Amino acid sequence: MTALLSQAAQSIDLEPLRAFKAAGGRLVGYTCTFLPVEVFHAAGLVPVRLRGIGAESLNIADAYYGPFVCTFPKALLQQVGTHHYAFLDGAVITGGCDGMRRLNECWRKLGADIPGVLPPWFHYFDVPHKPEGVALSWYQDQVRKLIDAVQNAFGVRIDEEALGRAIRQQNRVRQKLWDLAELRCRRPAPISGSEAFEALIARNVLPPDRYLDELDRLLATVQNRAVPSSDRRRRLFVTGSICDDLALVQQIEAAGAVVVGESVCYGLRNTCALVDESGDPVAALSAHYLSGSVCPRMFGYYAERRATITERIRQTGAQGVVLQNIRFCDLHGSENGLLERDLEQLGVPTLRIEKEYGALTETGRLRMRIEAFLEQLEA
Amino acid sequence: MSIVAGCDVGSLATKAVVMERRRVLAAVVVRSGPKPGASARDALDQALAQCGRSAGDVSYCVGTGYGREKIAFVNETLSEISCHAKGARFLVPSARSVIDIGGQDCKVIKLDANGGLVKFVTNDKCASGTGRFLEVMAKVMHLPVDRLGELSLQARDPVTLASMCTVWAQADIIKHINARRPAEEICAGINTAMANRVAMLANALRLENDICMTGGVAKNKGVVHALARILGQRIKEVKTLDPQLVGALGAALLAAEQAGKVNRKELPP
Repeated sequence: MTALLSQAAQSIDLEPLRAFKAAGGRLVGYTCTFLPVEVFHAAGLVPVRLRGIGAESLNIADAYYGPFVCTFPKALLQQVGTHHYAFLDGAVITGGCDGMRRLNECWRKLGADIPGVLPPWFHYFDVPHKPEGVALSWYQDQVRKLIDAVQNAFGVRIDEEALGRAIRQQNRVRQKLWDLAELRCRRPAPISGSEAFEALIARNVLPPDRYLDELDRLLATVQNRAVPSSDRRRRLFVTGSICDDLALVQQIEAAGAVVVGESVCYGLRNTCALVDESGDPVAALSAHYLSGSVCPRMFGYYAERRATITERIRQTGAQGVVLQNIRFCDLHGSENGLLERDLEQLGVPTLRIEKEYGALTETGRLRMRIEAFLEQLEA
Repeated sequence: MSIVAGCDVGSLATKAVVMERRRVLAAVVVRSGPKPGASARDALDQALAQCGRSAGDVSYCVGTGYGREKIAFVNETLSEISCHAKGARFLVPSARSVIDIGGQDCKVIKLDANGGLVKFVTNDKCASGTGRFLEVMAKVMHLPVDRLGELSLQARDPVTLASMCTVWAQADIIKHINARRPAEEICAGINTAMANRVAMLANALRLENDICMTGGVAKNKGVVHALARILGQRIKEVKTLDPQLVGALGAALLAAEQAGKVNRKELPP
């Protein structure tokens, strides 16, 4: 593992971002994988996916959200309210789910109440819940509006050539992440799930040039790593709610398993294909990002999502699946119920975990359940 | 003759079982203290004293319960799920489902025909549906917790608790006390509320007969009867051992299996 990837997975305050900012660069926060980050790269900005890590209290967020809401957007708002994102020059909120959509209103109100927490540029990016027909046209329109808004706010020009360069660069990232995924399919896996997950999270928060260097270094290390001839650890796959919770993967592995793949936000699931590098870049980005097969926020595509996950379970040789969701996440809470039923019909044992976000999780009972699941697989 | 032991450090009680050739030699329940390791040592020492053995006689010891990682002297730790399944199956060989209600959580376990673990669920919402719920309610009633079951069986018109929340249910009970409702009717309401909560969890697994109930709450006949009524299924009671000891029993049985596989190991003093 490279130290920077590890640090990027565990901290909001990162040296490469500080250096970029000190050199006159501008940083834009965003919240959802349905946002085409290539727009920002084409503008010379660095998009930073927003996270709630480090929030150990929700005293600010509770006032804006109320109690019965997923703790991810609340933890994120808490970090905003405690000035952890004061370095942002802009932010884009996406209606990934209702909790995230409300972040748009809550953050604006928070900005009115606490000076300095609302970035100078604040934009709402709407994403439809279907990927075809008029919904796709609507999404393309949103992308064009986003491009206009970025150009106006930051005084930059985003042309087709710049978008094309950004698409090619992000496709290189996607290809390398799939190289990493393939390494994890080996038996025994030459890389732990925690190490791989650090690299996946870091992708969302580091400048792309720096990230590609680090990823190359990691891949070279892992490819040449000596592995034991056999490994008795159970191979697990993790899916479900938004998850940048390295501690969850570490806890699963500390119980004696190896996490060989995941289908979670911040993970690999939104990189399932490359963006088309020919033709109109806005059309190509829209076709890629407005996918039905990655997130249950999209209506009517459960069968596609199940097929994708089932195939990845097969590829990784996972012997069991951890279906996790953050409490009050209706989308993944419902879909995990379907996946539990369908995967078990296929003979894949599952463990459902409902928990709070990140550090707010009660770990004692969680550990017992993971250990019991491994004992179940062992038997 | 070498013996094996199981230690179950729960949130409210610590249990130890000592076995020899699959026969229980001694079993002890003590109140859990602030240090899980010390509670386990105390329980095991008492159990060994009960059967006139010493720590050096124990060839293998398995620890379980929320405090299992803090027990220095065990050879191995296993989850409560595996231990309760093992112990329940030993006492009720026909068991295909186990409902364990402990001090701070509730587990429902489904077994296959050979006793293998098929699936489990645990409560992860709040304290209702756990032994702690009953303790809090008994305190409001000024009754020892072990009287809740016996009293509730005399009720003719149980009260209904409006809230499942441990905090709000207390206010509900005070309301019934002030309305001079008989204690047995309030106790029956408490036990039914508890059973309703547990039934929600049990229904998630579609339990198969026979159902066996373990954990401290299994001693409350009011909860057992209410749960059987709500589930529409008979619950087989553990009669040959205190149901609170089933986790420790399972740990001892698993210790016996392991002792057969490894060389004799001495417990540190």
